[in-house]
Amino acid sequence: MSISPFLRSPFTDVTGGMISHQLLGRCQLEEARYMECLEAYGLERGKVKCSHLFGDFHECQTLTKQFKRFIAMRNERDKQIAEGKLKGDNKYLSPRVDSF
Amino acid sequence: MAEACQIARKQDLPPPGGYKPIPYKRIPARQYFSGYAMFAGYIGMTIGGLYLYNINYKQVKKDQIEMRSAKMAIYPMLLAERDREYLKQLRRNRDAEAELMRDVPGWEVGTYYGERVYNLVPPDALVEPIFHEYYAHSDPVEWYKRAYIKFFS
Repeated sequence: MSISPFLRSPFTDVTGGMISHQLLGRCQLEEARYMECLEAYGLERGKVKCSHLFGDFHECQTLTKQFKRFIAMRNERDKQIAEGKLKGDNKYLSPRVDSF
Repeated sequence: MAEACQIARKQDLPPPGGYKPIPYKRIPARQYFSGYAMFAGYIGMTIGGLYLYNINYKQVKKDQIEMRSAKMAIYPMLLAERDREYLKQLRRNRDAEAELMRDVPGWEVGTYYGERVYNLVPPDALVEPIFHEYYAHSDPVEWYKRAYIKFFS
């Protein structure tokens, strides 16, 4: 992965990426930690040494583990409904519609 | 010979007293208002209308201010109620998850088969769920209702 151009000049700054989580995004803290670690170690060593920070940043950005949890729970619930273990009012637990 | 032909015949004669004179002069249209009167009337009606409009405008502004003040006044209470319900629902979701995944091997509540979602926060930190996780145990009809509110209103 490459984060910044090899030689920076005004010409590369013109089409630079200006979006980041630092503008009060959800992942402001995780991104800051990871980028500071990368800045300290550089890109090559940083990929290895900061991988624990990268794990959290990646999860915050893509929310994959939370989604996978949802998929696993949903499959289990559908399986139990199909088996007949959950029936009637116990099938689902619905939140109030204006509470999220 | 002329007297012998004197029978009473109908003849197309001019009316008695002769024809009336033929009117050839122009008859211009009747003018109810002069030009000055029209301008004066226009300005007068505009002033009257503006006066009435102004009264109504002031009342509308007062109503808007009152409605805005009322909304601002109750907003914190509504927000607090929503947060309370959110936290209660998180607790119910956790209990439902514990109950549902009791017999699944390797599952711990709040993790994905043992892997914690965020590794660098303390184990009892609140990890706010995404929409799918919050509605993981609910009827799909309820998802659609919430998604409808978000997207179409």
